[in-house]
Amino acid sequence: MSARGIGGAVLDRGVVPLLLLPSVILLLIILVGPFFYMVWTSFTDLSYSIPGRDGNFVGFDNFRRLMRDDPIFWDSFFLTLKFVVWVVSLEFVIGFGLALLLYHFIEKRRLVVTLLLVPMMLAPVAVGLIWKLLLQGDFGMVTYYLRLVGLLDIRAALFSDARLVLPAIMAIDIWQWTPFVTLVMLAGLMSLPREPFEAAVMDGARPLQVFRDVTLPMLRTIIALVLLLRGIDAFKEFDKVFILTGGGPGTATELLSIYTFRVNFKSWDLG
Amino acid sequence: MLAGIPRLRCAAAAAAFMLAAAAGSGNAAAWSLEEAAAPYKGTTIRTIGEALPPLEAMDKLKSQFEERTGIEVVIEMYEHSEAVNKVMLDLNSKRGRYDFILQPHRELGRFVKNGHVAALDKFMDDAKLRDPSFNPEEVLYQGLWKEISWYEGKSYGFPFTALTMYMWYRDDLLNDPKEREGFKAKYGYDLKPASTWQEYSDIAEWFTRPDQGFYGTALQGKRHEALWYEWLNFLYSFGGDMLEVKAGSECGPVIVNSPEAIASLEYYKSLMAYSPPDTLNYFWDDVMALMQQDKVYQLIMWNDATYAVAEDASQSTVAGKMGFDIIPQGKGGKVGQVEGWTYLIPNSSKNQEAAYLFIQWMMEKEQQLNQHLNGGATARPDVYAHPDVQKISYSKASMDTNEVAIPKPTIPESPEITDILVRELSSYLSDAKSAKAALDTAAVEMSKLLGDCAPLKYPVN
Repeated sequence: MSARGIGGAVLDRGVVPLLLLPSVILLLIILVGPFFYMVWTSFTDLSYSIPGRDGNFVGFDNFRRLMRDDPIFWDSFFLTLKFVVWVVSLEFVIGFGLALLLYHFIEKRRLVVTLLLVPMMLAPVAVGLIWKLLLQGDFGMVTYYLRLVGLLDIRAALFSDARLVLPAIMAIDIWQWTPFVTLVMLAGLMSLPREPFEAAVMDGARPLQVFRDVTLPMLRTIIALVLLLRGIDAFKEFDKVFILTGGGPGTATELLSIYTFRVNFKSWDLG
Repeated sequence: MLAGIPRLRCAAAAAAFMLAAAAGSGNAAAWSLEEAAAPYKGTTIRTIGEALPPLEAMDKLKSQFEERTGIEVVIEMYEHSEAVNKVMLDLNSKRGRYDFILQPHRELGRFVKNGHVAALDKFMDDAKLRDPSFNPEEVLYQGLWKEISWYEGKSYGFPFTALTMYMWYRDDLLNDPKEREGFKAKYGYDLKPASTWQEYSDIAEWFTRPDQGFYGTALQGKRHEALWYEWLNFLYSFGGDMLEVKAGSECGPVIVNSPEAIASLEYYKSLMAYSPPDTLNYFWDDVMALMQQDKVYQLIMWNDATYAVAEDASQSTVAGKMGFDIIPQGKGGKVGQVEGWTYLIPNSSKNQEAAYLFIQWMMEKEQQLNQHLNGGATARPDVYAHPDVQKISYSKASMDTNEVAIPKPTIPESPEITDILVRELSSYLSDAKSAKAALDTAAVEMSKLLGDCAPLKYPVN
């Protein structure tokens, strides 16, 4: 029997699952276990702050309280939805637009693509700190120019105005994540076969028709993927908001993630 | 015969007293830090606190203790909220990373009630650990010690800093003849440190010059604990409070939505007109920086931040130009707030004795004086009496405020009360609701949180 034959026989006897076992166990310990523990604590009254609330089973009480008696939760929920819809839509439109520009009109794309990677490579905390300085209400560089061109009143500041603060945070998120959409969509465009486009042109289709009837349908899967990834990521946005506003002023930027942080790590109300 | 017995008893008692005194003085002479620390030589003790001058001063002093005892002291410094959160995680996980902790006293109730921290008796009653010459009952301000480090009649630590807030103002501008003349012409009275809230507003208005980047005041309006602390000055001064109680560890009727409280909040917001545009994004670090950069005339700030502004010319452009006074008076009279960071020893600590020895050493007059002169805020009156301390520009304001300071809740729910109030105050400042609506919401939530012991005194419609 050849060595290959011996190896094949060993694999047949089920060694592969055994080799995977350590990874599976590790995954169970660090991901699945804590998840089920978290689900369990949601049915208890566990609090690290209030004496006597030691994790007693309370059934659906926490969920009932959340649904019926917690207006802050619902405000946060709808604010988060608004944030997700706006940033993901704008990131997609701008990102896809840039990808089309790069694909059709720019020959040497490598440098541009490399530059586009920069905002994405920054840690969200670093992005928050950078923009905190740029938009600081007294000496921030961007604030200075916004005032210079008359877009911002001398007595106004972006992070101190409840009407402007959420759009400002959305703009920062769009600055950071639009390049991601551009890159994925550009890769998608470059991977499309040329024949359907040539056939459409020969049939007399105009550019807009080619885009609507050929490009978009062929990119459907990639578009869905981009929207899904960005949607999930935007829904759990925390770092930038925490650094920039802490959820304020008032509850103007209290996204669900900030609300959850407050309940868990300010009030230590885990159950 | 009968008359002789008491005499004999007196003589015996006197002899016993003299013997005891001799033994006591012998013990005092015999006790030494080096000897007490000998069993713990080579140990490393770790602590955590807020990155501010008092802790930085302790960091510089610790080497003297390390040299004398062979016990290494590791100090972790973080921003306020971070220092609190890291301790909560450590205490709840019972990991025992920290051998002693420095925490704001509003957290004390939940530490004690959850059994996280050790009472001091076990160390104070141990003759091997207790320095007989250290008598906290005599050398500390008793009121401050009991407010900052005691809970329900038991001591859990010593004050690391006895903090208060008072008024900071620019003494050089106050004494500028041009400013004095102009102010008097406009308001009809002499420019002086504000003693009423009307004067405070007038002065803030006078010095507000946005075209020059200079403002009359700076409010700490960010959604942060700093907002709550700052507003408390106004609340107390206007005659209001959060709960109707006599001590921080008590629960009682909720009065945070009283007419006085509403008036204080409305007045507080009126000062936003004289504060820089980004005021709703400021906490204590930001307003301190504004003062250091010569951008503000007056504000209300903490004593542990004063040194970096008033005395340290390497950090501040206005060092030597500052004046300090107790906050202006309202219906509530002369008041201030007491806040403090306290030394505590977690039950999970593996080196409690070594930690106690370090804390006890830090409470000695020499270390307290050194720490105070470098930005600390001691709870020892003998340090305040020291000529070097008397010379510091903010000593008088600190002492005056200490004397009239009002305690704040330290019950286990107090951090949640703070969080509720911070949110509602911030909502009002950002025009999301009226002062009454904000404080009514806070009152209802506080009453719900505290339960039967905290009914609403002022009904909510």
